[in-house]
Amino acid sequence: MKIGGRSPPFPDAELVRTLAALLTETGLTEIEYAVGDRRIRVARTAGGPAPLGASSAPSAAGGSIEHPGAVKAPIVGTAYLAPQPGAPPFVRLGDIVVEGQPLLIIEAMKVMNQIRAHRPGRLAQILVADAQPVEYGSVLMLIE
Amino acid sequence: MFEKVLIANRGEIALRIHRACREMGIKTVAVHSTADAAAMHVRLADETVCIGPPAARDSYLNVAAILSAATITGADAIHPGLGFLAEDADFAAAVEEHGFTFIGPSAEHIRLMGDKVAAKDAIRKLGIPTVPGSAGVHDLAAAEAAASAIGYPILIKASAGGGGRGMKVADDRSELAHMLPIAQHEAASFFGCGEVYLERHLERPRHIEIQILGDGLGGIVHLGERDCSLQRSHQKVLEESPSPALNQEQRDRLGALAVAALRELGYKGVGTLEFLYQDGEFFFIEMNTRLQVEHPVTEMISGLDIVREQLRIAAGAPLGYHQADIKLCGHAIECRINAECPNTFAPSPGRVTDYHAPGGLGVRVDSALYQGYGVPPYYDSLISKLVIHGKSRNECLMRLRRALEEYVIGGIETTIPLHQRLVTAAEFIDGDYDVHWLERFVGRPA
Repeated sequence: MKIGGRSPPFPDAELVRTLAALLTETGLTEIEYAVGDRRIRVARTAGGPAPLGASSAPSAAGGSIEHPGAVKAPIVGTAYLAPQPGAPPFVRLGDIVVEGQPLLIIEAMKVMNQIRAHRPGRLAQILVADAQPVEYGSVLMLIE
Repeated sequence: MFEKVLIANRGEIALRIHRACREMGIKTVAVHSTADAAAMHVRLADETVCIGPPAARDSYLNVAAILSAATITGADAIHPGLGFLAEDADFAAAVEEHGFTFIGPSAEHIRLMGDKVAAKDAIRKLGIPTVPGSAGVHDLAAAEAAASAIGYPILIKASAGGGGRGMKVADDRSELAHMLPIAQHEAASFFGCGEVYLERHLERPRHIEIQILGDGLGGIVHLGERDCSLQRSHQKVLEESPSPALNQEQRDRLGALAVAALRELGYKGVGTLEFLYQDGEFFFIEMNTRLQVEHPVTEMISGLDIVREQLRIAAGAPLGYHQADIKLCGHAIECRINAECPNTFAPSPGRVTDYHAPGGLGVRVDSALYQGYGVPPYYDSLISKLVIHGKSRNECLMRLRRALEEYVIGGIETTIPLHQRLVTAAEFIDGDYDVHWLERFVGRPA
């Protein structure tokens, strides 16, 4: 999925430099920056800040992650992680979920569609942010 | 003008729309099925949204998914392309209800022209002759009565149909009895409505269509005709303009009739009125309220970008020109190239291993193919349109012959060899063909 313009070439050296400078300036040990489905994390190691890796969230068209625990969007819309604004999220990282348990909502055309776990397991990854647009096949979460 | 247009279609027409948008500085949103993730227009579009699995009903016909994609990308307008939802009046209405501009005519006009019986009625009242025929017939008795009045041979057509699909010929009463239920059944399964109507079946007509543009503000022009008589199984194979069969007087008369009728309707958008022409007489058969596959033929002789005009009209701009400003120059021919065996017409999807498109003066290729592209098996087989322009029909034919021999599409079978045979056939060179000619031609041994 491409939203909000062409994806810039990765890694974005300028961005890394800016984040590294911010780390030093603020004394933080880690900064994670995400825009849409692109995510970069910069963390301070013993020798100074170094980029740990540019992990582009794998929500590309048609489900490029063929993991059996991948929870994929069956429709196009906007993902919400809680039943309503301000409420606690449906699930948290590390939760044990059962088959059929609601994990998130995708809102399409003002209708809230609950997305349920297709199998039991541990919620290993949450790959969408609250209010993020998703397409058919976007990988939303990973159940291990 | 729109800032962002969502293209609700695929293949070469989606690329065509993307190109027109980008030339106007409009951002594009490509919605696509999983099977089209690597399509050229998807690669080029500013934003992309996967809307479903390969099946058209779950993707390109999925109204909710398309509207949802328009919402999350903040598109201003939706271009439906052709086929799929382009002539779905409910879709046009839904698009507008959700606050997007539908790039096309009003839902009301789409609905009127989508009912082929009502369309003929409306057009006849506007002073245009139609093929002698009936209203919807619901049983054999009504069909027999109508057929006697019209005269055999009879063509049974779906009221909700179009595009040359679901038509059956009956030469006499007993064939009518046999064909009627079959036609009704096909109409129901293709178009969701089993109502059929009858028309006189013309023995050797030409298919002549008139391209019109209307701005909905009183401005209407026609851009000449296209001769689309070369058809196989009612699907067009090659189109040309001007028609070798018409003289200037006939052309002007038909164009004026079409413009007057649509001005009366207050038509906004592009449209094509299709006629059968036989023995000097024109008979209206149907109107297409959308962009057509063969629109490049008209673009080459008129110099107008028809998709650009669609966008301008939809954004509320007046045409800005009159009929007297329209200059039609030279001759143009379009060959529809399908991913099919050129002899059996069996579909040939698969990977395009080698690709070289012809070029040069007067040579235009509208195609989304590229080297390494996998033609999916789920959709219609049109993969390229080779459009040639020349100062005269002869120059066009020479150029077309040269362009066809240069065109390389390797790894799959295509109908390029069929076109190569076609352009050297005596009757085609003479312009002496009707809607049944090509079927006879392909029945001949190679």
